[in-house]
Amino acid sequence: MLPRGRILPIAIAAGIVASVAGIGTLLASDHQDTPEVELNPRMDINDVYAFPGSTPDRIALVMTTSSPIAGTTTASFDPNLLYQIKIDNGGDAQEDLVFQITFNTGELTAQRVRVVGPIAPTRQGTANVLVNTSSAVEGPVGTNLGSDTGIQVFAGLRSDPFFIDLEQFFNILPDRRPSTGALSGPPTATASAFRNPGVDLLRPFNALAIVIELPKAQLVSSTAADAKFGVWATISR
Amino acid sequence: MTIKNFISVSPKRGIAGLISLALVLAGGAACNDSTALTGVDTNRVYNQIERLGNPLVSEVFFPKRDHGLHNNKGPIDDTKTMALGGTDVPGHIRSFVSQFPNRTEKTITTLQAVLAPDELLVFPNRTPATAGWLSWALANGYGGRKLTDDVVDVGLSAVFGNAVDAAQPVLAGLTSDNVGPSVRSFSTTFPYLEAPRQ
Repeated sequence: MLPRGRILPIAIAAGIVASVAGIGTLLASDHQDTPEVELNPRMDINDVYAFPGSTPDRIALVMTTSSPIAGTTTASFDPNLLYQIKIDNGGDAQEDLVFQITFNTGELTAQRVRVVGPIAPTRQGTANVLVNTSSAVEGPVGTNLGSDTGIQVFAGLRSDPFFIDLEQFFNILPDRRPSTGALSGPPTATASAFRNPGVDLLRPFNALAIVIELPKAQLVSSTAADAKFGVWATISR
Repeated sequence: MTIKNFISVSPKRGIAGLISLALVLAGGAACNDSTALTGVDTNRVYNQIERLGNPLVSEVFFPKRDHGLHNNKGPIDDTKTMALGGTDVPGHIRSFVSQFPNRTEKTITTLQAVLAPDELLVFPNRTPATAGWLSWALANGYGGRKLTDDVVDVGLSAVFGNAVDAAQPVLAGLTSDNVGPSVRSFSTTFPYLEAPRQ
């Protein structure tokens, strides 16, 4: 169904404009999740994933941002934002552990990432501060960092992993249409079913991804079968 | 981590890298490159402007006017009503699903139970082969969300099909967008996501 920030991809994927300059025009005029995201697409979280890692005792966590990015030019994480992946392993809907991801200025591989965590947050909730610690995985964007037996980190440009026929979704549920751009339109349905085959409109585009893999024991100490944790991602400024 | 692995991951680190390796083996920093990131300010307060746990929750069940509300709150607020300062995920799910004909109470209450609070739930000690979005609830599985999970079809099948409640009438043509994971080629090794498109 409709992932965050997927309105802009449709406008672009409609094939109206393929050049970087054209995308800039659409960025300026299209409608996204919130006014903040509309002003800065790098504030947009696209998707969150959590799945078994390279060995049964490891787990991979992924957050993607900033899609759609056409080609490989001038994509960078925002050095003024705090990207976080939060873990609730106490079942109280509050984060017990966090990964705090920050970046310096620069573009593509000239940018550097610093990942702290998993670590107990100094402040829970929606107003956060950086945890004061020297323990971090740090290095250039676009490179596998850390240890494949400890914490492993990748931050950089990847193909957007999400797949959806969003154009037809808008045709069926027109109240979710963007208010401007190529796929904007009247609030009336123009279709009552999905088309077959569907169209993977995000296929041509990239996203900025943060991938962290680590031993699952660092997130949940219990070995019981029903041990669990919840995960979500945030962006703060 | 072996020295060979360490060097292969970061071949340009040289002496500084080996020093970092020593710190790792001593139980210190996980991994530090020779050039520290500047500008780390532990006094600055960062205010949340964006949040995402499960797919669909905000994007589908919340009308656009409430997306900002969801973004600015945390999971602890998801089961509270908006009048009490919450995001009311259960109420938003009911409002969205109920606008379509013949949706059942079982479908609504099940979606409310598995999506509020909005955290992507993982049962990491269960069989990795059972990983998949909401598999923890639907099949006593690992849960989480894999790159290959067709969350669109899972969501469509729940709301418009009978995936959650066998008694719920299927709305023809709405249970799949007919785009599946076969259109992507994810890696089986870290960092798993495909290389960027040119």
